[in-house]
Amino acid sequence: MLSALSSGPTHGYGVATLVRERSAGALEVEDAALYQALHRLERKGLVAAEWGLSDNNRRARFYELTTEGRNRLRADAASWRRYAQAVAAVIEDA
Amino acid sequence: MRRDRGERPFGYLRRQPDELQAEVDEELRAHLEMRIDDLVAKGMSAEAARCEALRQFGDLEYTRRYCRSQDKRKETGMRWNLLVDELAHDLRSGLRQTVRTPGFTAIVVLTLALGIGANTALFSIFNSLMLRPLPVRDPAGLALIQNGSWSYPIWDEIRARETDLFDGALAWSAQRFDLSAAGHADVVDGAYVSAGFFDVLGVGAARGRMLTPTDDAAAPDGPVAVISHRLWQQRFAGANDVVGRQITVQRVPFTIAGVMPAGFFGPDVGLMTDVILPVRTAEPLIRGKESRLSRTGSHWLQIMVRLKPGQSVEQATAALGSIHRLGELEAARGRNARSFTLVPAATGNSPLRRRFETPLRAMVIAVGLLLLVACGNIASLILARTMTRRREFSVRLALGSSRLRIARLLFIESLLVVVMGAALGLVFASWGSAFLVRQLNTWQSTVSLDLVLDWRVLAFTAALACLSAIVAGVVPALGFARVAAGDTLKDGGRSIAGDGRLFVRGTLVVVQIAVSCVLVVGAGLFLRTFASLHQLPLGFVPEQVLIAELNLQASGGLPESRVARVERLREAAAAVPGVRSASVAAERNLTGAGSGWSAGQVGVGDAPVSPTGRPGLWLNATTPGWFETMGIPLRSGRDFGVNDRAGSPYVAIVNEAFLRRFLHGGRPVGQTVRIGRSELFGFEPNARFEIVGVAGDAVYTTPREGMPATMFVPMAQRKPSMFWEEVALTIKAAPGKRALVERDVATALTKADPAIAFTFGTFDQLIEATVTQERLIALLSAFFGGLALLLAALGLYGLVAHSVRARQMEFGLRMALGAASSSIVRLVFRRVGVLIAAGLALGLAVSFWAARFVGALLFDLEARDPVTFGGAALVLVAVGLVAAWIPARRAGRLDPTIALREG
Repeated sequence: MLSALSSGPTHGYGVATLVRERSAGALEVEDAALYQALHRLERKGLVAAEWGLSDNNRRARFYELTTEGRNRLRADAASWRRYAQAVAAVIEDA
Repeated sequence: MRRDRGERPFGYLRRQPDELQAEVDEELRAHLEMRIDDLVAKGMSAEAARCEALRQFGDLEYTRRYCRSQDKRKETGMRWNLLVDELAHDLRSGLRQTVRTPGFTAIVVLTLALGIGANTALFSIFNSLMLRPLPVRDPAGLALIQNGSWSYPIWDEIRARETDLFDGALAWSAQRFDLSAAGHADVVDGAYVSAGFFDVLGVGAARGRMLTPTDDAAAPDGPVAVISHRLWQQRFAGANDVVGRQITVQRVPFTIAGVMPAGFFGPDVGLMTDVILPVRTAEPLIRGKESRLSRTGSHWLQIMVRLKPGQSVEQATAALGSIHRLGELEAARGRNARSFTLVPAATGNSPLRRRFETPLRAMVIAVGLLLLVACGNIASLILARTMTRRREFSVRLALGSSRLRIARLLFIESLLVVVMGAALGLVFASWGSAFLVRQLNTWQSTVSLDLVLDWRVLAFTAALACLSAIVAGVVPALGFARVAAGDTLKDGGRSIAGDGRLFVRGTLVVVQIAVSCVLVVGAGLFLRTFASLHQLPLGFVPEQVLIAELNLQASGGLPESRVARVERLREAAAAVPGVRSASVAAERNLTGAGSGWSAGQVGVGDAPVSPTGRPGLWLNATTPGWFETMGIPLRSGRDFGVNDRAGSPYVAIVNEAFLRRFLHGGRPVGQTVRIGRSELFGFEPNARFEIVGVAGDAVYTTPREGMPATMFVPMAQRKPSMFWEEVALTIKAAPGKRALVERDVATALTKADPAIAFTFGTFDQLIEATVTQERLIALLSAFFGGLALLLAALGLYGLVAHSVRARQMEFGLRMALGAASSSIVRLVFRRVGVLIAAGLALGLAVSFWAARFVGALLFDLEARDPVTFGGAALVLVAVGLVAAWIPARRAGRLDPTIALREG
């Protein structure tokens, strides 16, 4: 989800769409869970929110990674990648 | 988070809970609408799209609640962080401010330190004397039998029932013990105590052991003593082997059994009991035949009981009442019989309390007022500085800082200096209180208070500091509240209109003047009291007189042998070169006490009268030549002679006050005086004394009590078995030789009687001692009055200087338009006059009201003495005018062109 925000400020709906597109439907995230996560991240200071206007001129809350969030994303992504590589290596060996 | 604050740089826009809720609602609604739009665009019907959107969303209600709670938590956390950040920032900024203006800081800190120090000093005395419980186990369980002291037989009755009626009982008698082996007395405070004393109090030994009930029986290894921690440190240098060593008390050797814990000085607050002896064994050993253990007429013991758990003081009093023998013993005193009533005694017993309670309270109020003046000054200073920083604050306001925030900054700045002042004040206080207590010491008695900075004192100081910070910090903040953002940036300090903020300072100055006025009136009253007491005629000539207090009791021997002993010592002293005359009296004048006659009737001729008052008649006994030595003139008749001895007809000399009181007309010499119950004074019952001489009046107890009716009898005519334990060898030295003869007399006395114990003193010291309290009050009130005056003058000066500065432009204009400089000065003074008049009126009114509380402390002076009030008003006006004159004159000398240019 952090990576969905890494390209720039996005509103909640945008994040939902992005997550869905990137995982090509493999990850079916409920919108409810998404918003809960966004607000939790905001409390932890990983993302910051601001009101803005969406593409079709609707008032929406835009989320953006904070410096701290960006650092976390980098760290998490690295560890995920290591994990994924490890899993991939195990599968290949089998 | 940093980013969030960046979004709201101008003040902190708080999000209220309902706003948070609305935001969450709006966000989720926007999401659903966007999804519906997308679905409709894909060809779904509006109704189906809504259902699908909700399905894809999941639990909407829970999410709403969850998001809301997350937001709220974030908001709270941020608010805290922000507050801490801001406070840290304010603190740094305040510190910078205090460092940047060292002069200002020094003045404020010093003023506060003086104010807080004076308050803390007095409070710590008050605390030690009145508030602090004894350092014993469960002090709240102690109760004292009130109304003075009791005889040993009475204590015996209570002791017999101590465990059955109470949780124990204890008795003690404060004494002055001479620790010297020969010659000059080495006197310390000590006590005789009951053997269970330490057990019942619950005080353990620091070394060795405390006294136990076995000490009531004669110990096999000789009599024992317990010494204080202080004595152990001072006399024995804290030696490890102190237990078992010998100590001489009243010329009797005792073995040290133990050392009391540090901080325990006995149950008498105000005395530091250094040597404690078991009464049952030690008292007869020291006093020999004169032991008071079996005497029902000697009242010398204080008695305390420890209440049983759950027992109230009333129940314990009732329990005491159930010992019938007590009532019978006391009834023997006739009309002076007292009841046995217990009072709570958690704070111990102290004769000092009654004596110093009123003066202490008066002083506490005085220093409280002083602190108020000091705070007023500081508030005024900070306010003045606030004005000079108006530009800074305007900029802060313009940048979005809230007024609250700036007020807080000001408050923190004052808090900083107050904390520094309080810390320094504590240092001043510990010096000051020790100094004050030392002032109470006299030749007669040492007053020792264990002055500890306990939590009460620290809490008191902290409370004072908070109060000071509030007074000194809030007023400037209020004064600042009128600054508007753009206002000062625009005018930059140039204005001709009246400055509203000066009103705040004006009020402060009025209060300061009023408070100073109260203090100055008080100082005036006390100084005049002291002066009039000091200048009172004594009736005798003290300058050349040296007194050697002879302690006949401490140096052994039977009472009957003392007549000859005293005569031998008197002759030895009289033979010393430089001694004009030497004589002996039973009582010294000016000790504050003496032999008074209140029990019986006094009659001249056949008409006895019952004298009233405290007491009706004072008595003294002298050897021949005493009147000459003292410089008391004999108005008629003769002095006592060598023929006035035991067995010869009783004779007496009376003073003129006696004649006025008891003899109405007629020739006094040759008449006879009868005093009732004369056997108590050591004469035959219903003795008749022939008046052989009339002496001039002299002060007997203290100057305050004046020159009372006094009767003198020859020392030699008293029953030898009742000879005094202490007498005053009165020596008149050649002019200017008094200090010199002291050493020679000491040598001569020791040579004549190697066992004799003596202490030297002079009437000058005694005179000082009798006015200790007055001197102390006068000293303190003069100091505080002066300080308050100085502070008020500074406050007034600051105000006038500032207002002159603020009106510089106006004055410049006026002068440019032709106003004379004198009219400018008048203009300034008109305003100052109003302030001084208002302050004076207020101050005099308060003094008038408060005067009734100090009436008891004054001598020969009305509490509302118009001269003192007038004098105080004059002093204040003079000081005020001087304080205002300096800046006013500067205003008058203003060069209009410069004034107008600079604004």
